[in-house]
Formats: sequence, structure tokens, C-alpha cells
Amino acid sequence: MRFAAADISGQGHLLARLDSRLKLLASLALLVMVVSHKGVWFPLLTAAAGVAICFSMGVRPRLLLIRFSEPLVIALVVLVLKAFFSGQTVLWSFNIAGMAIFCHQDGLLEGIRIASRIMGACAVVATVGFATPFTELLAALAWLRVPQGLIEVTMFAWRYLFVLADDAQVVYAAQRNRLGYVGFRRSFRSFGTLAGALVIKAFDTSQTMTIAMVQRGYDGSLPMLKHRPFRLEEVSAALLAVLAMGVLWQM
Amino acid sequence: MPRITLTLLLLTLATPAHAMHISEGILPLNWAAVWFVVAAPFVALGLRRLNALSCDDLSVKPLVGLLAAVVFIISCMPIPVPTAGTCSHPCGTAISAVLLGPFVSVLISTVALLIQALVMAHGGLSTLGADIFSMGVVGSFVGYAVFRGLRSIGAGLGLAGFFAGLLTDWATYLTTSLELASGIRGSDPFFPLFAKIALAFVPTQLPLGVLEGAMTAGMVLLLHKKRPDLLVKMNVLTAAEGKVHA
Repeated sequence: MRFAAADISGQGHLLARLDSRLKLLASLALLVMVVSHKGVWFPLLTAAAGVAICFSMGVRPRLLLIRFSEPLVIALVVLVLKAFFSGQTVLWSFNIAGMAIFCHQDGLLEGIRIASRIMGACAVVATVGFATPFTELLAALAWLRVPQGLIEVTMFAWRYLFVLADDAQVVYAAQRNRLGYVGFRRSFRSFGTLAGALVIKAFDTSQTMTIAMVQRGYDGSLPMLKHRPFRLEEVSAALLAVLAMGVLWQM
Repeated sequence: MPRITLTLLLLTLATPAHAMHISEGILPLNWAAVWFVVAAPFVALGLRRLNALSCDDLSVKPLVGLLAAVVFIISCMPIPVPTAGTCSHPCGTAISAVLLGPFVSVLISTVALLIQALVMAHGGLSTLGADIFSMGVVGSFVGYAVFRGLRSIGAGLGLAGFFAGLLTDWATYLTTSLELASGIRGSDPFFPLFAKIALAFVPTQLPLGVLEGAMTAGMVLLLHKKRPDLLVKMNVLTAAEGKVHA
């Protein structure tokens, strides 16, 4: 499992130093603009800006490629789907094994529009994801009145995600070494055993963790990160950026 | 027919490893909002159930968090699908629905999807509502209903688990197809596009549903063999059944 994420907030980039609540609010505003835009250029501009910011933060091209690989494939599939199976105006056609295939101009344009929206929206979330530690994002979500229970469960999941992933890798490697994935029947059985082992591990860990937390005063709710007060220059900068994008969005 | 054949060809070749999640930005604003509104009450009910359970037992929130991590890991495991020559992945929601009930399972899916959207670009924030509805709501309720229904007519744990996993997977993908078709159809008619997308998922999802079923059955059977106390605690088995197998 490859986690295409990097907390690079410690590297001193301007965006990484910005208050996480402002980053989240600005990115949500930008996301709404991207998915509601009727054209192609605004989402593409947002995508280009997002990628440029990621590079300026020192995100490695390989990491960025991993992060964008799935959205790129999906954008391509949607583009092909819309170009060949949607629309009326035939742009060009060709034959495959006696079948006439038509590419439609209006379908192609619609496909490009959706593909650009995918890239723009992904770039927004990737940028805020690379610039903000996950726990700060959760604290910002809590500030936005996302229910406490959801935030707490997410924090528990995030805390133990990597531990359980390592355990899963160990069990999987052990199963593979014992030919546990040779043939369908054995593969299915091994995969079920792996899932069951993870559930048992999750249950036991949750019990141990609860005992440890109760001994340290856990009463059923976790403390959240405390936010420092908003700074005028940060708020102004975020507002200015959103306003500038808003003006571009309306053009 | 040629169009359907080509759709199948194109989409099976290009089916990404995480096709279950609707990608960020793919739905227009109105459809993204609709799915948020549809999914929100289920998440709220899940939170209510979680709070009620955690009043009695402080270990419930950590347990739900860790099971969300398990669902996250399972739904990130690339499984080779020979018929499609590609990889796909199970949902994992059947497991959480069988163990903790459908409402808490919706919450678990929400957490897994939120982390995937923010960290891995699987799914997205704008499509979170749609993804929660397909994987969390439909997946959890179908899995739970099938498992409990089959158990109530005397089916064994393995069989009930298998069909819960199988139908959870297929129901999730059908719902995803519906959401995609309604979101990207533009001025085209809905049903032909829905049929094309649903058909495109078939080569990958038919075998994957079987895998998901086998995985869920394997998980339940392993718990039954090694830790029947957990199944009793989670109300999958009665105390008497648990004692018999302990």
C-alpha cells in the first residue's frame, strides 16, 4: 500500500505556515468553484496552479504522479466514454474489425470539461493535503462543526492505520511464503483469514488502548488541537486569493 | 452491440484499481450536493448510535476507529482480477456491517472514505456524499440485511457471510454506476448510459464480488473458530451459541 501523502508543513513554505482553518475554507470555496464551472479553462488553471504550488513546496514529481495517477486514468476513461458514446455531431470515424466507431465533437467537448474538472478538483485537495498535517486538518474540520464523534473516530483510525497496515503486510507476506495465494480457493481462504486476523488485532488493540487511555484520564472524548487566534494578514491573504479566483471563475 | 463491446473493452482495460470511489470533481455541483443530502441522515444516525454505545462502553470509539482502519486497508488492497487483466479491490463494508450493524458501519465507511479522499486521492471531498451513499449506506444495509436474513432462516455463518459480502459488493457497484450515470450524462438519456457503465464494471466486479464474499465468510469463520467471544459481544452469535463453540 503506497500512501501518496506527505506532511511537509515543517519545510517552511508560506502555504504550509498558513492557518489550517483558512486553508480548508479556501480550498472548499475553490472546490465549489471548480465543480460548478461550466468551462474548461478555470479548472485547468486551478490544476496548473495547484501542481505549481506542490512543486514549490518541494513535493517530489514521483509522489505527485502517484497522487494524480488514479484521477488521470479516470479522467481519460470519462473522456473516451463521452467522446465515443455521447453526442450527435460526428467529428471522425474509424473501423475496428468491421465495426464503425464514431467520435462525436459535442461528446468530446463534454468529456474534456469533466476531465478538466477532475484534474482541477484533485489539484485543490492535493495541495491542501500536502501543505497540512492530517491532524491539523481534523482540528480544522472540528472547528467547522463537523461532529466530534466523527473526528474522534477518524483520529483513532489515523493513529492505528499504519500499525494495522504493517501487520497486514506481515501476515500477507507469511501467507505468500507458504503458498497461500496459489489457486483461487486458497487465495480466497487466505484473504478471509487475513481480514479476520486484522479484525481480531483491531479488537484487541482497541481494548488495550482503552485501558491505557482510561488510566490516563480518558472519559470518552479526546482533546482537540488548540487553534491560535486568526492573524489579520493570513485572513486577508486567504480572502484575496479566494476573491481573485472568484473573479476568474466569473469571467 | 458494437458500442457495448467497445465500452467493455475500453473500460475493462482502463478500470483503475480504485474504481469503487467516484473521483474528485467528476460530479457537477448539483449532483454532489444531492448525494451529500441523501447520505447525511445516515451518518447522523450512525453518530447517534455510536454515542449511545459509547455511553455504556468506553472502548467503542477506539474499536470503531480501528475497524475503520481495517476497512481502509482492505479497500486499498489491490487484488488481481484475471478476467479483466487488471486489479481491483473489495469494499470491506460487509465486515463492519455484520459486526457492528449498518448505522455504525456507515460511520466506519465515512471515516475510511474521508481519509482516502484527503490523503490518497481515492474518491474525493466533493464526491464524499456519493461515495458514502454507495459504499457506506447501500453496502452496509445490503450486507447487514442479507447476513441477518440468511441467519434467520438457518443458514450457517460461512454461507451468510459469503452472500453478505457478495451482494454488498455488487450493490455498491450498481449504486456507483447509477451515481456516475446521473452525474456525467449531460443531455444524454439516463438508462443507456447507466447500462453501459454497469456493464463496464461486470468483468471486474463479478469475480471481485465472489472474492469479497469469500473474504467476509473467511473472516466470520475465523472469528467463530478463534474468538467466538467477539461474535457474542457484537451480537452476531447468541451467548448460548458462543458457549457451544468456545
